[in-house]
Amino acid sequence: MMLEIKPIFHALCRSKVGALLLLIQIAITTAIVSNAAFIIQDRITYLNQDKGYPEDEILAFHVMHFGKDVKSHQQFELDEAMLRALPAVKDAAYINNIPLSGSGSSSDFSINSAPEPGLSARTAYFFTDDHAIKTLGVELIAGRNFREDEVVVTNDNDQRANVTIVTQALLNELFPDEDGLGKTIFLGDIPMKVIGVIKHAKGPWLKDSRPNNVALIPYINPNISGNFLVRTAANERANIAKRIEDEMLENYNKRVIIRVRGLDQDKAQYMAEDTLMMRMLIVLITILVLVTALGIFGLTLFNINKRTKQIGTRRALGARKSAIVNYFLVENVLICSAGLFLGAIAALLLGQLLMKHFSIAVLPPSYIAVTAIMVFTMSILAVFGPAKRAANISPSIATRTI
Amino acid sequence: MLLHYLDLSWRSFKRTPLVSFLMVLAIAIGIGITMTSLSVYHMMSADPIAHKSSQLYAVQLQVMDDGHTWWTSDNLPLQLTYQDAANLYKSEIGGQRLKMVRSGFSVYIDSDTVKPFSQSARLTTPEFFNMFDLEFLYGEKWSLQQEENAAPVVVISEELNNKLFAGENSVGKIIYLDDASYEVVGVTRNWPLTIKYYDLNNGSFNDPEQLFMPFSLLEAKQLGNWGNTNGWKHEDVRSFSAKLQSEMVWIQFWVELTNEQQKNDYENYLLAYMQEQQKFGRFNRKELAYSIRDVNKWMAYNNVVSQDNKILVALSFMFLAVCLANILGLLLAKFLRRAPEVGVRRALGASKRQIFMQHIIEVAMLGLLGGLLGIVLAQFGLLGVRQSYSYYESLATMDLTMLLSAPLIAISTCIIAGLYPAWLVCKTNPAIYLKSQ
Repeated sequence: MMLEIKPIFHALCRSKVGALLLLIQIAITTAIVSNAAFIIQDRITYLNQDKGYPEDEILAFHVMHFGKDVKSHQQFELDEAMLRALPAVKDAAYINNIPLSGSGSSSDFSINSAPEPGLSARTAYFFTDDHAIKTLGVELIAGRNFREDEVVVTNDNDQRANVTIVTQALLNELFPDEDGLGKTIFLGDIPMKVIGVIKHAKGPWLKDSRPNNVALIPYINPNISGNFLVRTAANERANIAKRIEDEMLENYNKRVIIRVRGLDQDKAQYMAEDTLMMRMLIVLITILVLVTALGIFGLTLFNINKRTKQIGTRRALGARKSAIVNYFLVENVLICSAGLFLGAIAALLLGQLLMKHFSIAVLPPSYIAVTAIMVFTMSILAVFGPAKRAANISPSIATRTI
Repeated sequence: MLLHYLDLSWRSFKRTPLVSFLMVLAIAIGIGITMTSLSVYHMMSADPIAHKSSQLYAVQLQVMDDGHTWWTSDNLPLQLTYQDAANLYKSEIGGQRLKMVRSGFSVYIDSDTVKPFSQSARLTTPEFFNMFDLEFLYGEKWSLQQEENAAPVVVISEELNNKLFAGENSVGKIIYLDDASYEVVGVTRNWPLTIKYYDLNNGSFNDPEQLFMPFSLLEAKQLGNWGNTNGWKHEDVRSFSAKLQSEMVWIQFWVELTNEQQKNDYENYLLAYMQEQQKFGRFNRKELAYSIRDVNKWMAYNNVVSQDNKILVALSFMFLAVCLANILGLLLAKFLRRAPEVGVRRALGASKRQIFMQHIIEVAMLGLLGGLLGIVLAQFGLLGVRQSYSYYESLATMDLTMLLSAPLIAISTCIIAGLYPAWLVCKTNPAIYLKSQ
């Protein structure tokens, strides 16, 4: 097969505008698609990360007391017992904030008591009890769970808990060279002994600088409001959710039960923006690729119409059908290569621009390469149909009108 | 002449329906995508209180000692300490001022028909209603006297009034918040706010609170903070009074400054205030820092428009450029095929300028059609956005500005695309085509 690049190139030079338009389209498409694909991939990784919880089995809700005839911390103990006794409930626990919900408490945990300086790490902490490990479904890889007598249930702010269970990630940061289990760490000036290690758990904020640093503290001092976590069988969760408000109000009615929802629904809310961004980008690049493909298709058709006589003459002079198809394919490859070259540069520039103005990582060249291969294949496919049609132009056309 | 050209355009449209339709579709898709992201951007960055946004200023003080850092771009905490807010509020400098914090309650009344429910509240000084333009349906705000005495009074929203009192004038009635009773002194009209600009801490697009109460109740009833409380050094704040004295930041402060002079005076005052406080061992810094930002600057500083949205707007305009290249190609094909006809018109005396205008008008008509169809497509796009997340409910809509700019963008895009083909076709040399016919 002869690739008659030289004559094709000369022919191209005679209809520069069409070729140029195609080139621009391919370049911009490559730039957008590679960057968008990278952002999409980034979001998919973010949305699918391992949170450490069996989210579809966990139910969370918020309680606010307005009656003053009971003490919240005592009432919440009774509520816990009631919740655990419900059929299909595996376990239930009080907790001051809900993991993955976007609201919570965090502080620097240090190896020294404040105000003495020392190695410290940003940590999300939860006040909860000895049922939290089972309710949250997290894996304890070393040490032990809280004993019931270690849980401080109080309404006195001066009482403190003195043990904690933390994630491996936090221990690795605070004790990089040794085993942190059994060591004492400090929340401000409150000492707490690390008695257990959780393999993996996320705090309230997935976008935190330290999303994996989590500490559980056995301390229940709820003032007038608090949250509960209930773990059920996944298929029973909806039924239990419906009953929560009535059961809770039956236990004590001078209070409001709000935000009864699954842990995964909480997460969906928190991640909604990223999900939306991902979907919009997918729609954008799909339509963009279609529009570009149609553009290539249309321009090739236009070129063929313009050159009907030329093709007919070539056929009359003995060119085979495959030669005609090849002609258009090679022409397209020439334009496409130039477009992809420009597109790769544009993609890099766009990537740099996005990195400079927004918190987006450097665009890996592999994304440009994959996009380029895809755009190239698409353009060959788009040109193939019109080229076949051109090959079918009868040689007699050439003799008819000239 | 214009009508004649429009007539010609329409005829030309009908002559090549497929190509014309493809062009309209290309514009419509480009406009649909662009307008979807641009509308959200537009709503997110719209000035929420246009007539006085440049007179309302959020105040920040650098309360942290040297060596501490915050996550904001200029290292300033977003809120004030309780004591600083109290001092700035007391001072006579500047126009109207307010301090505020978000709280919340269980709400109920003496009635079995309304089940107790939870509601967030704004504890603020009475200037709030004036400064942020809230109107009253019934009653009025609480007095300065009541503010000073921490009177148990409350202003409720029209929506809450409908829920609790079936929309009747409820001034003088009692509602219960947690375990205490409060007298309703006013009902505000619905306050349609797409951006909660006065408090951007916990979601910029959340609805405004529906309960407004004297700020002094915070201390009197030791109410909890439903917004953010941030500390920057180790302090013992086990008791409520310790929290009030602490260096933790949790109170928001706004001031109204109507002219440049007043603004300068206020800035000088803030500096002088911090210098004075240094005598008590606070503001341990080499360089004192503060900031007053008007509403629009405050929203930009708080990144109200998400970066995702900015990226989408940029990408969709690039997408529009691809559509433009597409249209240009199709226009070239369409116009050049018409060269013989143009040749005849030129020979019959039409000037180049007239030919050019005729084609530009044809292109503009395509743009208009594409723009209109684009609005329809954008509505579907926005519908999709609205369904994805509750807070886009009021953001993913097209207001009048956007509805008008859609065809405008479409037409100008098409005219840009049409310039070259129209120029090419008006250059047509009549002689060639006259010969061959």
